[in-house]
Amino acid sequence: MSLKGKIALVTGGSRGIGAAITLKLAAEGVDVIINYFRKTSAAELTAGKAREQGVTAHIIKANLAEPEKIDSMFQEIESRFGRLDILISNAASGVARPALELDTRGWEWTMNINARAFLLCAQRAARLMKDGGKMVSISSLGSRLVWPVYTAVGVSKAALEALTRYLAIELAPKGICVNGVAAGAVESEALKMYTTDQGLPQPSLQTTPAGRMLRAEDVANVVAFLCSDEAAMIRGQIIVIDGGLTLAPMTGGSGGTT
Amino acid sequence: MTTVEETVKKIVTRIVRKPDLDFKPTATFKDFKADSLDIVQILVAVEDTFDIEIQDEDLKQVTDMGAFIAYIERKVAEKNKSQVSS
Ligand SMILES: NC(=O)c1ccc[n+]([C@@H]2O[C@H](COP(=O)([O-])OP(=O)(O)OC[C@H]3O[C@@H](n4cnc5c(N)ncnc54)[C@H](OP(=O)(O)O)[C@@H]3O)[C@@H](O)[C@H]2O)c1
Repeated sequence: MSLKGKIALVTGGSRGIGAAITLKLAAEGVDVIINYFRKTSAAELTAGKAREQGVTAHIIKANLAEPEKIDSMFQEIESRFGRLDILISNAASGVARPALELDTRGWEWTMNINARAFLLCAQRAARLMKDGGKMVSISSLGSRLVWPVYTAVGVSKAALEALTRYLAIELAPKGICVNGVAAGAVESEALKMYTTDQGLPQPSLQTTPAGRMLRAEDVANVVAFLCSDEAAMIRGQIIVIDGGLTLAPMTGGSGGTT
Repeated sequence: MTTVEETVKKIVTRIVRKPDLDFKPTATFKDFKADSLDIVQILVAVEDTFDIEIQDEDLKQVTDMGAFIAYIERKVAEKNKSQVSS
C-alpha cells in the first residue's frame, strides 16, 4: 500500500476514530490536515503524534455546521498545500432524542454536520484533487439499525451513505474513488457518554463474533486500505466493520463453534 | 456587572432566545430551559469571544451562572498571564 507523499484532510481528525485514522495515514507517510471543532489541545496532541512519523501535520479549527467555515478551511488548505489527495469525512455530532421530541434545530444541526458537510467538503476537495483522489465517509450501523434516541444521527448517516454512492459515480470520471465505512460500536468518549445516558451496557461488556470489541484502529485500517490504489475498483460501497455482530445478533458476540 | 458577565449574558440571551432572561448568579442553564444543543452553542460562542478553551470535565463543577462567569474569568486571566510570560 503506497500512500507516501499524499495529502489528506481528516474532518474531526483530532480525537477518537478520527485521530486513529489521522495516525494510520501519517504512519503510511501521508501529510495530514486535522480539522476539529473546539478542542485545540486534543488537535495539537494528535498533530504532535503524527509528526513523530516524519510527516507534516496541520490543524484547522472549523465548525462544519457553517458553510463559510468550510470555505475558509479549504482556502487555507489551498494556499498552504495547493492540492488534496484524500478526504475523510469523519466529524459527527448529533442530538440524542426520540423522533417525537426532535425539533428542527436539532435535526438541522445533526444533518448539517453529518451529511451536508460531506457534500460541501467533497465539492471543494474535488477541485483540489487535480490528479484524482480518494474520499471515505465514516458512517455507523445506526444508518440501518434502530437504537434508542439515535434517530437524527441514524437518518443523517443514511443520507451520508446515499451521498457516498452518488458522489462515487459523479466523481469517477475525475479519477476520484468514493467509499464509506459503517462501524459498529467503538470504545470512545462519545460512546461512553451515550451508553451511560441511555442506560445501555457499557462498551467494555460488549463483544462480537470476532471475539472482541471494535477498536478505532480497526476502522482506521480499512479506511487506509480504501485510500490505496489496491482498492481502486471498489466504488460507492459502504464497508461494514463490526466483527460480524450484525450477521449474528443472537449469539451475543459469543462466536460460532470452535 | 463585570464585562465578562455582560458579554456572557448577551450570548446566553441570544442563544436561548429569551430577551427577558433573569440572568442572576444563582440561575442555571436548566432555569433558562437550555437544551444540550443550546449549551454547545453557548460554549462555542464563549470560547470564540474570549479566545479560551473550555474543558467539558471542568463544567461538572459549574453549577450556576455565577460559577460559569468565575470559570470564564479564571480562563481569561490564565490566558493573559501565559501571553505576558511567553
Ligand atoms: N464511537 C463509535 O462507537 C462510533 C461507531 C460508529 C461510527 N462512528 C462514527 O465515527 C466518527 C467519529 O466518531 P467518534 O466516536 O470518534 O467521535 P468523537 O470521539 O466524539 O470525536 C468527534 C470528532 O469530530 C469533531 N467534531 C465534532 N463536531 C464537529 C463540528 N461541528 N465541526 C468539526 N468537527 C467536529 C470533534 O472535534 P472537537 O473534539 O474539537 O470537538 C472530534 O474531533 C463519527 O462519524 C461517528 O458517527 C462512531
